[in-house]
Amino acid sequence: MTFSRSRLFIFSLLICFLGSFTVLAQDDENVLLYGGNQDIDNIDPAVGENYSINAALVSLYDPLFILRGEEIEPLLVDTWEVSDDATVWTFNLKQNATFHDGSPVNAAAVVYSFNRLLEIQGPPVYRWAGIADLTSAQATDEFTVQFTLLQPFAPFIGTLTQLYIVNPAIVEANRGEDFGQTYLKEQDAGSGPFTVGRWEIGNLYEFVAVPEYWGGWSSENHPDRVLWIIRRDSASQVNSLLANETHIADTIDLRDAERINGTEGYHVESNAGLFVNTLKFNTQGEYTSDLNVRMAVSYAMNYEALPQVLDIPVELMPGPTPLGMAGSVADLEVPTFDLDRAREYLAQSPWPEGGFALDYVYVSGLTFEEVAGLVLLEGLAELNITLNMTPMLWPDMVASCSAPESGPDIVNIYTQPAYLDMDAHLFNQYHSTQWGSYNSCGFYSNEQVDTLLSDARVTGDQAARLEMYAEAQRLIAADQPAIWTYSQNAVLGFNDCIGGYVFRPLESLSVLFRDLSMDNCPTA
Amino acid sequence: MLFRYYFLRRLILIIPLLLGLSLLTFFIARVLPGDPVGLAAGPQATQEIKEALRREFGLDQPLPVQYVTYVLDLFRGDWGQSLYSRRDVSADIAVYFPATLELTITAIVFATLLGVPAGMISAIYRSQLPDHITRVLALFFVSFPAFWLAMIFQLIFGLELNWFPIGRRLNALATPPEAITGMYTLDSLLRLDFGTFALSLQHLILPALVLSFGSLASITRITRASMLEALDKDSVRMERALGIPYRVIVTKYVLRSALIATVTIISLEFGWLMAGAVLVETIFDWPGMGLYAVESSLRLDFQPIMGITIVYGIVFSLINILADFIVGVLDPRIRYG
Repeated sequence: MTFSRSRLFIFSLLICFLGSFTVLAQDDENVLLYGGNQDIDNIDPAVGENYSINAALVSLYDPLFILRGEEIEPLLVDTWEVSDDATVWTFNLKQNATFHDGSPVNAAAVVYSFNRLLEIQGPPVYRWAGIADLTSAQATDEFTVQFTLLQPFAPFIGTLTQLYIVNPAIVEANRGEDFGQTYLKEQDAGSGPFTVGRWEIGNLYEFVAVPEYWGGWSSENHPDRVLWIIRRDSASQVNSLLANETHIADTIDLRDAERINGTEGYHVESNAGLFVNTLKFNTQGEYTSDLNVRMAVSYAMNYEALPQVLDIPVELMPGPTPLGMAGSVADLEVPTFDLDRAREYLAQSPWPEGGFALDYVYVSGLTFEEVAGLVLLEGLAELNITLNMTPMLWPDMVASCSAPESGPDIVNIYTQPAYLDMDAHLFNQYHSTQWGSYNSCGFYSNEQVDTLLSDARVTGDQAARLEMYAEAQRLIAADQPAIWTYSQNAVLGFNDCIGGYVFRPLESLSVLFRDLSMDNCPTA
Repeated sequence: MLFRYYFLRRLILIIPLLLGLSLLTFFIARVLPGDPVGLAAGPQATQEIKEALRREFGLDQPLPVQYVTYVLDLFRGDWGQSLYSRRDVSADIAVYFPATLELTITAIVFATLLGVPAGMISAIYRSQLPDHITRVLALFFVSFPAFWLAMIFQLIFGLELNWFPIGRRLNALATPPEAITGMYTLDSLLRLDFGTFALSLQHLILPALVLSFGSLASITRITRASMLEALDKDSVRMERALGIPYRVIVTKYVLRSALIATVTIISLEFGWLMAGAVLVETIFDWPGMGLYAVESSLRLDFQPIMGITIVYGIVFSLINILADFIVGVLDPRIRYG
């Protein structure tokens, strides 16, 4: 036994010794090692959508508009105008933008990319469902594209951050039977600052910088290559960051954040994004259709305890919308933890003594969702209301949200707006036409709210829109269709050698590689 | 001749076994509540988008039609696509399976190389200090969860001592060997790329060692028990009385009969290691079948679940046949079982 182990030890040392001889990178190039929590499954802009895919897409492709910090900035667009009724949008494109093969990014490419999205009907397309069809986008000259929408849609520009322009020539050359989907899964046809390098599914993804990127680089020390290294476990995320196996780690636990901040040469960025947790009431449910019950349950939630008991960094919500969003109302009267008020509301309900049970559904295995339920359970016990903790697999939960009859009494749901506009946060959650999707699992219905949300969509005047949204928030808060708990912070660990990072609330975990700089980054 | 026919029959029997397995998995996956299409289409997908996706993947067809289509496609080499990533299942398995196979084979080699001698020593020195130490160590390894050991090993040998990498199959800056088998160590050797071989072996040792611990303990204990049983036989007493050296008795006669149980347990352990490697794969970021299986199951992603089940079915069947073969070689009396 001892003999075997010592041999193994010597052998291991030999391996380490041998490994140290391998030449890995050229000294003069900046190679950014990024520890990403998940795979980049598919980089077809018409098919893929999640934080890792978005980080890849915005590196390989250019959208018409880009999210930088809290702003939407024009990228391929030079100037634009919109009709008074927010139906006809005309964009004049920059004329120096080129694809990686040197061909110009023109209006025809924009029309082609938009129509391809609509034809494939992949996950990103819901933004334009009922808003645009295959006749909507037209190239009026080589560098002018006009969108004539099926109905007025004021937040249209916000959706265009997800419209990545593909090179029609490359897609057509690889069209196949699936409109180029097979080709674009792992290849790019874009104009972005990076192209696809090594692409090893489940393992590693490489982005290679385009030195002569048409849009220019924000820093001379921009990454020459970015390696997206999959690090699924938070412990290995922090270990590899501190061992210089990565320069950025995108999934950091609270406890590890202190460890990283306490280590010289590393720091943590923790910011409240728009990733919001709510406990939705089934407003059509047997008990939870009663406003007094909903208010009583909401007052029984110990909000202040959540940041302490949850293992994730959070900011408490001031109401239906997070404060980081333009148009969010800060002074809403929303429930706090107050058992006396809770009893008062319950006394006005058909069940003044409690004595009933509510199902609390959360995603099986997600401890922080379970903990939020346990905090509520403790408060409800004081009201003689039983909370049945019901873990469910995610697909089952999605299925249960398809109709009010199967909808749980209370369900723990995370939402994130699809574009940077209040419409994206409120419409899909609180407009009654949205029943059936899990974002609207509360089956909320209020005609006034419906009218305000619909009107705000078609109003061009931004100030008037914000007023409508403010009124909608007040009405929603008065109806208490959910317990608004917290927005979850995005916590990323950085080696101090990385510069240029700007937090983007909407894409809280997706780092803009194109804006980063590197200063003598160490590599293990 | 009978021996050959026996294994041929076993190989042919794999086909109906796989059909049964696929049928069972297919219907279990489909009758479970849940809306994988809704999940794949995204949180705000309209009914039209979801219906389009159902049509594209044939999920609007009756279940028997879906199954027959699946099996026919399978025979044509089309394993289907993931509903979620829209990647070909066969392409994904071609990447993930060799990674798990490499990890599992190395782990079982570690477990066997360490476990069999440990079991032998334990049996030979029954109730003496080496036996006690071995049994305590076996208990330690079988009791501690693999994910905990993985993190501790990562911390000590990776971060503190810097002997091994924190995880993954290869340093991110190194280029993997051009695929022949998909197993980096083997491929780099076959391509005579010793630098990459050393690197990939360096990455492989820690996760394989951690994965091997549970099996190591089982193999040690089974070997010990079988050895003790064999050592107690009259034949051993007779051999000792005849003056045959004890070392010869142990290695030539006792070990051979004791290994029958060990081989059986190794084959079982190999299957379990392969199916249960997910925790080690997660912590060491080893892109293998375990992770693929768990992620697909959580999303109820039908086609990958089917593909994974079939691959595991084939592997388990082949391992069992191989184990029977080895046992038959070790003891000719049970060849035709």
